[in-house]
Amino acid sequence: MTAGFLAPILGGVIWTLALSAAALAVGMVLGALLCAMRVSGGAVLAALAAMLILIFRAVPPIVWLFLIYFGLGAGWLQIGAFEAAALGLGLITAANLAEIFRGALKAIHVGQWEAAQTLGLPQVSRLCDVIVPQMLRITLPSIVSYAIGLIKDTAIASTIGVPEIAFQASNVSQATFRGLESFAFAGLLYIGLSIPIAMASRRIDLRLRSKVAR
Amino acid sequence: MIEVSGLVKDFGAHRVLDGIDLSVQRGEVIAMIGPSGSGKSTCLRCLNLLEAPSAGLLRVGDVTIDASRPVTRRQRLGFRRPLGMVFQSFNLFPHMTVLRNVSLAQERVLKRSRREADEISRQLLDRVGLGAKADQHPSRCSGGQQQRIAIARALALDPEVMLFDEPTSALDPELGLEVLNVMQELAAGGMTMIVVTHEMHFAESVSDRVLIMADGRIIEQGPSAEVMRNPQTERAQRFLSAVMNR
Ligand SMILES: Nc1ncnc2c1ncn2[C@@H]1O[C@H](COP(=O)(O)OP(=O)(O)OP(=O)(O)O)[C@@H](O)[C@H]1O
Ligand SMILES: [Mg+2]
Repeated sequence: MTAGFLAPILGGVIWTLALSAAALAVGMVLGALLCAMRVSGGAVLAALAAMLILIFRAVPPIVWLFLIYFGLGAGWLQIGAFEAAALGLGLITAANLAEIFRGALKAIHVGQWEAAQTLGLPQVSRLCDVIVPQMLRITLPSIVSYAIGLIKDTAIASTIGVPEIAFQASNVSQATFRGLESFAFAGLLYIGLSIPIAMASRRIDLRLRSKVAR
Repeated sequence: MIEVSGLVKDFGAHRVLDGIDLSVQRGEVIAMIGPSGSGKSTCLRCLNLLEAPSAGLLRVGDVTIDASRPVTRRQRLGFRRPLGMVFQSFNLFPHMTVLRNVSLAQERVLKRSRREADEISRQLLDRVGLGAKADQHPSRCSGGQQQRIAIARALALDPEVMLFDEPTSALDPELGLEVLNVMQELAAGGMTMIVVTHEMHFAESVSDRVLIMADGRIIEQGPSAEVMRNPQTERAQRFLSAVMNR
């Protein structure tokens, strides 16, 4: 027996990765924005951000995807399946990352802000030189574990036709009636994607830690 | 150099500073002592606008801040520019090398080039005895070393006045001594300094003038030896005898 029939599933890997990366990128940018709104000090902005975070999280991913792709996509705006999935998963990611960022911000000692202020650093430098690098260090493990979760969650994009791993596996299984092999192979691919990311993150984390810890 | 008049700070209904008047001459070294909670830190933090004063006038050099009027960002920057600040908890940037810690603000604020800034930073680190630590991260340094780095970081911006808030309180006496030596050298070099401290020896022998604070007021001030040995008010006597007999 030849495993060649599984080849199309392998072709899904690139889409799974691209979709994960796109959703993560959307999530980082929007998440940073939501976090900034929450801690801005403006009551209206903070309430708005809290509400958006709640909404983004409360609605299940698949409903977001359908809403954006079939809802908005039906006449409101021209949007492809990939973009719709990236946006839908991105919104949920943004909500979760916003809370992770906020936690990290709290973990940074207020003295860091005060030192930056008394040194007269301009606002941009306070953030980019002092606060954000420390936030990234603190949040790196959480972001990576979220990203690994995200890789798996991209499977629901198969429902709107993004040709990622799960979509391909489903196609192959229907065409060949070999569901067990198809989906087991898909499962192995997901594992294969997650492990190197987890390992890389551990190494980066250890390296950062060894510099900062005594 | 510094002129404070009628400085008041309220935290909600709690009046923490109750009318502080203070004038500091160029080159003067002032020690601010007093019981815990008397408002020493708050006074220093108002002086560099880390806390917004509730009332009063503050002048540093030729920039004046009037607490009754909104302060623009430019005013705030201009006001802080000649002030260097050293915190009890050092507040070094943990993700940067010691050298970067000292160089960063020079590049961002004084627009020095990286090379120029690093060169000045190395000179300053040598001056506080830490030239060898330049390429380490702060976490690899002892508390006393970290505080000296923090002093170098503040000095890198050529301040005219240095503010210290209990710079040695987080340190073992031995490590505190390293820091006090650096401060003593600064004082001898003519730096204007305001030092909140529990180091009675520093207050008595290094500073020119001692201020004793209690309940948000300066209850006594004068030449160091005089105030420390022969306080006039009963409250000051009580405080001094408590700390001296510890
Ligand atoms: N951010 C704040 N909010 C509310 N109250 C504050 C705040 N900061 C200080 N206080 C109060 O102001 C008073 C004076 O505090 P401050 O820190 O200035 O005292 P201190 O003289 O520096 O004392 P210590 O010697 O313990 O450092 C205290 O009663 C403190 O509880
Ligand atoms: Mg204090």
